[in-house]
Amino acid sequence: MAPFGAALAVVLGAGMAILASRWVHRLDPGVLSAPERVPFQGGSAPEVHAWSRYHIRYYSMALLFLAFDMEMVFMYPWAVVFVEEGVVALVEMMMFILILVLGILYAWREGALEWA
Amino acid sequence: MGLRAGLVRLAAGGEVPVFSVAGLGGRVVVEELGAVPGIEVVDHPRAAALLVVVGRVPPGLLGPVLAVHDQLPSPRASVWWPVGADGGVPGPALAAALPGLVVGRSGDVNGLRRLFADMLDGGHPTDPAALGDIDPAPWRGVGPYGHGGTGMTGGVPYGRPMAGRAPDRDRLELDQLPLRFGPLFPPFPPGLVLELLLQGDVVQQASVGDNRFRTEAGTPVSTTLDTDLFLGALDHPVLVSDLELARARHHLRWLARVLRLHGLSGRAWRTLALARCLTAADAAAVTALTRTVGRSRSMASALRGQGVLEDPGTVTGGPVARAGGEPADARSGDDSYRGLGFEPVTHPAGDAWDRLRQRLGEAAQAMALVERAGDRVRAPGPPVEGPRGLIAAGLRPPSSSLLELLPDLLAGQEWGDAVNIVASLDLDLEEAAQDGSPGLAGATTPGAGFAWRPGMSPDGGPQGSRPGVTRSPVAPTENEP
Repeated sequence: MAPFGAALAVVLGAGMAILASRWVHRLDPGVLSAPERVPFQGGSAPEVHAWSRYHIRYYSMALLFLAFDMEMVFMYPWAVVFVEEGVVALVEMMMFILILVLGILYAWREGALEWA
Repeated sequence: MGLRAGLVRLAAGGEVPVFSVAGLGGRVVVEELGAVPGIEVVDHPRAAALLVVVGRVPPGLLGPVLAVHDQLPSPRASVWWPVGADGGVPGPALAAALPGLVVGRSGDVNGLRRLFADMLDGGHPTDPAALGDIDPAPWRGVGPYGHGGTGMTGGVPYGRPMAGRAPDRDRLELDQLPLRFGPLFPPFPPGLVLELLLQGDVVQQASVGDNRFRTEAGTPVSTTLDTDLFLGALDHPVLVSDLELARARHHLRWLARVLRLHGLSGRAWRTLALARCLTAADAAAVTALTRTVGRSRSMASALRGQGVLEDPGTVTGGPVARAGGEPADARSGDDSYRGLGFEPVTHPAGDAWDRLRQRLGEAAQAMALVERAGDRVRAPGPPVEGPRGLIAAGLRPPSSSLLELLPDLLAGQEWGDAVNIVASLDLDLEEAAQDGSPGLAGATTPGAGFAWRPGMSPDGGPQGSRPGVTRSPVAPTENEP
């Protein structure tokens, strides 16, 4: 019964996908005309090509990533010994996270979370 | 077919998505259209089914209106509403360009609903495109994969020049994108064209494009302004209470615009409803509203410190100058206001938040003056304190001097703050177009002080970027190694 059910699901799923794709194709308005393709700027036409580069700030993003990543790297072994060590481990981890949070706040102040 | 008819009826009963365009004198009607239940005024033509044009379209707006019309997805329809004394017929140019244009009655919302239902039903044919299907920059790729040819930087891929480069915040040479917003950009006042150099969302340089409410010869198009009552007070006796009521109404309308910009549509519509039928008895409602908005923390945090006016003395009166601590107000020296206990409201910081608080304070003050003035008549002669600034014979209209502040205020701002700053100045391009002084001619020339790159059309209308406009190729020496 199980192989039959699986095959039925596959056939039904594929059939519905094919039907849906044919139907969606019928709804498609077709190729847009040149005025329809223009991005909306309030009635003005764009004058430059859409290929434009902006500074994605990989360096500051990498620093932020490291802040979070280091946190996780130390949290795994910490979680293993947490029950044995008790409150001392908790306090130590809080101190560590506080230092990392200061780093994140510094990156924030430096504009690492802004677009350009 | 029962299913189809049912679906059509269901869709026709829903909200009618409308993209609205304010022509001459149509701004108030357009704004009140958004407050009507069953009509959804959308900010993008792709989301609209109907294009509603209110008032005559000046020649400078015709191209953008047609471009926006063609961006409405099919099925679409266009409606024209007359305003005031424009004869009830759209201009011949608009009627010729849009043969399917339906001429309606101003404010006839049920007509819009019927047209929408008719259009979904197939009774009203969809509007044909007004502009030809001509690609302004046809694909001109070269090489085995047609990837455009002369490099990724500074080339002309697909026939369009690429953005030039300039140092960014981190002093890296990156692309600076020239963009022209307007004249039908919904967050801006109707007719405002801003030419911006953007890097990411930072406005590096801004300049004001040519005023679309002027004719091609540069003369103002005749129109009725929203400050007509104040202009008339220059040489006719007017009730002081009428003037102050008009001032409060003006500030409330402005507040509704700003509230909508901040996403507070519900409160914006209530403010607009209050402004529409404002009477002397509404003083308490105005005070309550101004108190609520003045306490808004989210608006304060968005507006505080934005667009600080360094020298408010350069603006001749008006809330913008007084929000910067300049107590200039023509009513202080006006005999008709003597004994009413008038004292100009001022705020110290001169930023967008203080401009908001200034107008809130002036609206509440105007309502108090209405109560105290009784049937006192203002004698014509002395300059009038309009809701945007000083109005006097031979003086430039307040909007045109406020427009000149924009380039300095916008440079270095992020996009969202720039939109807030534009709104905080309460600009009216129709009023600015009435300026006859030669000083503004430089500011309204397209691209004045704006590093427009070669190959760009000088007029910005969709016609400007048609083939046939010569595009000088950018030298390939800027290519990256």
